[in-house]
Amino acid sequence: MRLKKVRDDHPWWIKLFFIALRKKYRSTVPDVLRALFYRKTFFGKPYSAWTQESLRGPSEWSVGERELMAAFTSRLNECQY
Amino acid sequence: MSRHDELFQRLRNNVLEGPGHTDSALRQAVEQRVARASGRRGPAKPSEVPEVLRGYLDKLAQHAYKITEDDIEALHRAGYSDDAIFELSIAAAIGAGAARLERGLAALRSSA
Repeated sequence: MRLKKVRDDHPWWIKLFFIALRKKYRSTVPDVLRALFYRKTFFGKPYSAWTQESLRGPSEWSVGERELMAAFTSRLNECQY
Repeated sequence: MSRHDELFQRLRNNVLEGPGHTDSALRQAVEQRVARASGRRGPAKPSEVPEVLRGYLDKLAQHAYKITEDDIEALHRAGYSDDAIFELSIAAAIGAGAARLERGLAALRSSA
């Protein structure tokens, strides 16, 4: 995460959550999570509501099929998320 | 409007018109520039995006994975804070995604 504020400037309860994640998965917190949690009302909250509907809401595609399409698109964009 | 459309509009309105460190007009101009670079059709409007941002936005639109520390440092030197870069990057991402969604839906409608 190249933006220091987005990397580090989180409320204490989110920092605690990040510490718990690091311990549980023994890896660094993904940058995408830092972006989603930073100023949540600006981006993370409405974005998560939309992706939740897209990936898990009623659809003719299964959740697995939609996850596969998302993963394929990310790969085309050379994005690890 | 479907629930999906409603939620996307809410996201879009939040990012482009909600309170922020940058002007809403700049965020909207960024979204439009990146959307056009990503294939959105429509008459070209003169760019209201400052010159110093254009290279970064064009890279983000076409191959975001090529963005480097130097690109961010250049924006910092031009006076953009981390919050401003965050907002403008998200606005650009909304433009890139929206243009692709619009094209996909248009292709579906034309084949129906």
